[in-house]
Amino acid sequence: MTKTLRQSGTLLGFAAIIVFFAVQLPETFLTARNLINISQQLSMLAVVAATMTIVMVMNDFDLSVGSMASLAGIVAATVFTMDYPIWTALLAALLVGAAGGLFNGFLVSVIGILPFVATLGTLTVFSGLAFLISDGKTIFGRDIPAGFSGFARGGIELGDVRIPFLTVTAALVILVCWFVLEQTTFGRRLYAIGGNKEAAHLAGIKVKRLRLLAFGLTGLGAAGAGLMYAARVASANPTQGSGLMLDAIAAVFLGMTMSRQGEPRVLFTLVGVLILGILDNGLTQMQVDSYIREILVGLIVIAAVAVASFSKRR
Amino acid sequence: MHSLTFRQMSKAYGGVPALSDVSLTLTGGRVHALMGENGAGKSTLIKLIAGVVGADSLSVEKDGVPLPLASAQDAHDAGFRFIHQELNIVPQISVAENVLLGRPYPRRFGLAVDWPRVRAMAREALAFLGAAHIDVAGLAGDLPAGDKMLIKIAAALVADEGRQADLYVLDEPTAALTGEESEMLFAVIARLTAKGAAVLYVSHRIDEVMAICDDVTVLRDGRHVSTGPVAGLSKDQIIHAMTGRDVQDAYPPRRHPIGAEVVAEVSGAADFTLRAGEILGVAGLAEAGQSQLLGLFMGLGRTHDTQVRVMGGPTPATPAEAWARGIAYLPRERRAEGLMLDMSIRANVVLPHLGRYGLRAKAGAERRDAAAMSAKMRVKYDHIDQPVGQLSGGNQQKVVFARALYGQPKLLLLDEPTRGVDVGAKFDIYTTVRDLSAQGCAIILTSSDLPEMLGMCDRILVLQDGRQTEILDTEGLTSAALLTHFYPPEAAHLTQRPSMTSSAQ
Repeated sequence: MTKTLRQSGTLLGFAAIIVFFAVQLPETFLTARNLINISQQLSMLAVVAATMTIVMVMNDFDLSVGSMASLAGIVAATVFTMDYPIWTALLAALLVGAAGGLFNGFLVSVIGILPFVATLGTLTVFSGLAFLISDGKTIFGRDIPAGFSGFARGGIELGDVRIPFLTVTAALVILVCWFVLEQTTFGRRLYAIGGNKEAAHLAGIKVKRLRLLAFGLTGLGAAGAGLMYAARVASANPTQGSGLMLDAIAAVFLGMTMSRQGEPRVLFTLVGVLILGILDNGLTQMQVDSYIREILVGLIVIAAVAVASFSKRR
Repeated sequence: MHSLTFRQMSKAYGGVPALSDVSLTLTGGRVHALMGENGAGKSTLIKLIAGVVGADSLSVEKDGVPLPLASAQDAHDAGFRFIHQELNIVPQISVAENVLLGRPYPRRFGLAVDWPRVRAMAREALAFLGAAHIDVAGLAGDLPAGDKMLIKIAAALVADEGRQADLYVLDEPTAALTGEESEMLFAVIARLTAKGAAVLYVSHRIDEVMAICDDVTVLRDGRHVSTGPVAGLSKDQIIHAMTGRDVQDAYPPRRHPIGAEVVAEVSGAADFTLRAGEILGVAGLAEAGQSQLLGLFMGLGRTHDTQVRVMGGPTPATPAEAWARGIAYLPRERRAEGLMLDMSIRANVVLPHLGRYGLRAKAGAERRDAAAMSAKMRVKYDHIDQPVGQLSGGNQQKVVFARALYGQPKLLLLDEPTRGVDVGAKFDIYTTVRDLSAQGCAIILTSSDLPEMLGMCDRILVLQDGRQTEILDTEGLTSAALLTHFYPPEAAHLTQRPSMTSSAQ
């Protein structure tokens, strides 16, 4: 009984938020245009949060995703300035993401540094690299090819509505993460590592290798989100991804309050992303100060997790 | 001598009764055993007495005077002390600090901690237990399991500043102890009762209960079955009361001959050849290298001077390789090393064998296979997707066995396979081990339960300080005779083998 309450509490809160905004903003909130807008606004966060779920399934963290997203945007933009074709820039950025993620994984699983410490270190390193490569400047204007930024403005026409490519990309990433975590033996093993690392090792799970790989995927996701961000604002600057990390972790935590044993699940993470994205959108429309918005988001995450851990104990 | 009476103890969880109307009278100076299978209500009863779980009904009288018992503080004030089976000491701090944990430290001028006094108090408490050999300044985590148990008892003693508590409740205190350490504990219990304390002793080990307890109360399915003096009861009568059925042979006998095929060859610190279907015991004092020897076959730890060949190949480099080659392993610590408690029975059983399903996980097939293996082990559960943590200890252990059975292993390594497991589950486990052996699986078993080793093993390899000293045939061997082989003779060894414990990781 308390369990169902705990599991559905976040979902009820989610519904309450939607109803609240629908009543407060009757003209603008529940319109196709606004909903599509929301989906596009939160597409980057969705990608980071979905791939963050992969490491959090193992009880690990990656604090470096925000600065990795910035770095990936800078890397792509720098390759653009050298007049290479678009695909080489994308490839370079994604490779940097995967390499950075694998480096995190190496520190955590091979060297054995706590994820918190290791990724706090690489957060600074990636951020510093982004500043170094860009010389601290924003790369924009003619340096960014129209084919790249146009992607963020384009979409798939479905009758009257147009689903933005960014939304489609995020949906695909979520689908892939869901498949990997829920439908493959690889995902089963990651959950086992999260359940008990030592027992997983003794039961023949290649814990080191899988942790390494999982961090690589998270890095790749962060770089992908960085590219989406750069395309959307048609520029790259060395701090533009920095807000993603805390929101992504918050989204996963919100999702964890909904699962049976408090474990992260991709689809629940998506609900967490939606809660944060809708709050952002609705409060902005109501012209609530962005600082107040931050306070609210923080309190909501704390409340959801507190309720979940409280009811779990009893 | 005091007399404590607990009347009409009842507790239900979510409408399911865990304990129904059980009464118990404990007398100072006597050791009272509480027995029953897993799920019989022993833990619930202890929790009620400890005041950590609110009872549906309960009344307590001390020498006919009613006592309040609504909280842990009430229990403490009433003079009840609890020593649990988990050795939850704090490993990173000193022995003395562990002994005084949660107590106000003696201070100088009400300020600085009076460390010499702290150590003196700890030393005093340990000396009372006959454990003066423990260095109170040393790290608690460095001590063997037996000494950790003594620290916990000392902590319970210090709590009373020399004043005797009225009741000590010991919950499976010997689960992690060797025979020798258990003997020491029994001496401590004798001392406590000699001073007038009542002891409630919870244990699965019937031999122990018959040796040290005066009275026994048996619970089954949350209900009181019988209470009476231990003297005059036979082991079979106690088992019958616990299980409600007649005793089968405690250990199923070997029915199939040992095969000819060599499964493992070891030389160096240990020296033996293991054949298909053979059950080899590994015995010795606590931490004589038993777990390390088993671990060698799983790729855990290395010895440069011990050569191991398994099924014609070298030692596996990792547990993953070991499982892939048909070596199954049941680790010593079920909760820490064996199971993902929050995860389903299904996930726990199929874990090492996920590769068989290919890249794509197949929930249906996993459920079917996990259910089949669990049925073989007679695991009692509601649903195959139920978290393992909800099962009783014995059923949890059967899940670890189901995992090992799944791959039809050629070599099975069992480290304390029946620790904290009730009589009924034990028999199921022994039957499984015999069946596997009959199918040609070689088994290496280590256990602190010597009758179990003698009942199940064909040969017993004795380790002293990480070195094999001999291999004994179990035919005609007794526990007492086996025990004498654990201790080094006075004279130095003529042939010193390199030690496994010192060179292993």
